[in-house]
Amino acid sequence: MRLRAVEHRHRLPQRLKLTLIRVVSGRRVPDVVKTLLYRPEFFGRAMCEWTQAVMRGPSPWSVGERELFAAFTSRLNQCVF
Amino acid sequence: MGDPGGRYAAYTARLVDGVLSARGHTPSALRRAVLERAFGPHPLSKPVTSSPLSGTERGTGGEDALAAYVDKVARHAYKVTDDDLAALQRAGHSDDALFEVTVSAALGAALGRLERGMAALRGESSPPVPLSATRRGGTRD
Repeated sequence: MRLRAVEHRHRLPQRLKLTLIRVVSGRRVPDVVKTLLYRPEFFGRAMCEWTQAVMRGPSPWSVGERELFAAFTSRLNQCVF
Repeated sequence: MGDPGGRYAAYTARLVDGVLSARGHTPSALRRAVLERAFGPHPLSKPVTSSPLSGTERGTGGEDALAAYVDKVARHAYKVTDDDLAALQRAGHSDDALFEVTVSAALGAALGRLERGMAALRGESSPPVPLSATRRGGTRD
C-alpha cells in the first residue's frame, strides 16, 4: 500500500473490523479491503453496496459468470483479481 | 453521468455523490474536475468541457504533476509507481488528498468506460479513446 494513511490510519470501528478479518482469516488483509474500509463514507460504503447489487443482485447472469467478467476485465487492466 | 437510466443508477448516483460531496481534504470542485478528466471522451461527441485541471489553473508544475497522475490512474493504473506517489507527497499533497484524487480518477475512468460500453451496445459511436491511441502509438509513456 503506497498511502500510509490507507494502510494504517483507519478509524476505530474499521480498525476493529480489520483486526477481526486478520485474526479470523489468519492472513494479511488485502489492500482492496483496507481501501474500502478507509473513510467509508467517502467511497467504500457506497462502492460495497454498488458491488453487492451488481455482482450478487438479481440478474440474468449467474454469479459465476459475473465473477468471470470481473476477472477478465481485471486481466485486461493488468490488475490482480 | 454513467448509466443514467440503468438498473444500478441509484447505486451509481450515491457513489458519485459520496466521492464528490463528502467532507474531505480536497475541494469538491477539484474532485469533480479529476473525475471528469478521467472520464474521458463522452459518447455522441459531446464537447468536452474545460475543467480546472485542464484550463486556467493549469500551468504550475504542481497542477501538471497532479494532472499527469490522474491520467496515469485513468489510463493504466498498473503503471503507477512508488516514486509517483512520493513525488506528489513531496509536492505537499497529503495522503488523504491523494486518496481522494486517486478514487475520483478511478471512478471517473470506470464510469467513462461503462458509458462508452453502453453507448456501443446502443449502437452509438464514441470518439476515439486515449487509451487505444496510446496502445497503438506507444510513445506517450
